[in-house]
Amino acid sequence: MKRDAEWALVAAASSAWRPRDRAGMVAPHPGFLDLGEAGRVRLHEVVEQLRVMEAGLDAEGLSATGRAVLGRVRGGGRP
Amino acid sequence: MTDAVVDLDVHLAAIVAGDTAAFAAFVAGAEPLLRRALRAFASAVDGEAVVQETLLRAWQVAARVVADGRPNGLLRWCLVCARNLAIDELRRARVAAAAEAELLARSERDVAAWVPPDPLLRERIGACREKLPRQPARALSARLEDAGVVADRVLAERVGMALNTFLQNITRARRLLAACLRRAGVFVGEEAV
Repeated sequence: MKRDAEWALVAAASSAWRPRDRAGMVAPHPGFLDLGEAGRVRLHEVVEQLRVMEAGLDAEGLSATGRAVLGRVRGGGRP
Repeated sequence: MTDAVVDLDVHLAAIVAGDTAAFAAFVAGAEPLLRRALRAFASAVDGEAVVQETLLRAWQVAARVVADGRPNGLLRWCLVCARNLAIDELRRARVAAAAEAELLARSERDVAAWVPPDPLLRERIGACREKLPRQPARALSARLEDAGVVADRVLAERVGMALNTFLQNITRARRLLAACLRRAGVFVGEEAV
């Protein structure tokens, strides 16, 4: 995969947004599915770094992942 | 499990009673370790999806966690859940059983070696964020405020950026924050991209 294309997929999949599958489970980001193995490993490193920084900026110490989960929990109904 | 993790079961009774603030405190403490536990599976498993699914299930099953005299019962449940979800993905991808066992062993080593983020980070990152150029700061704020509700193409539209520009600005924001923190003596992972 060309580096430019991989970079954009990694950046996109670094979001905390994730789709749901038909069973309602949190599903992989579409960008993740298009990445090769090396790109997926790089994605994990990027997200690990990003989430630590996001948590450092948040009053409750929550990263975007934490906010996404709490958003579903606080929204009521089946999270 | 590493001794670096405080006992998050202090929040368990309140979580069982439906206290979302207590669950937020649990999530803040648990998420980094869960993510690290999934690093071994990164080439085949979207760790973000597994972390979110695991934490959502933790909210639902907290009442069923049985005290066993050891700390972090709910977090240990989460680690088992996350690894099982990762293994399910490996099997869907038809990864060999031997490879599966090696990845589980690596995951356990990663968890045992995990070190919490530098507490100085919270002190320094606010000032680093203030130094971000306008467009990276706007893109980062859009992601933080949205908290994973909508996809980036929607966020990009909201801030008046093309999607690719938005993603470039997110990447710039991450790299600039990491560089600023490094200059302040705080290291946040290796330079990944």
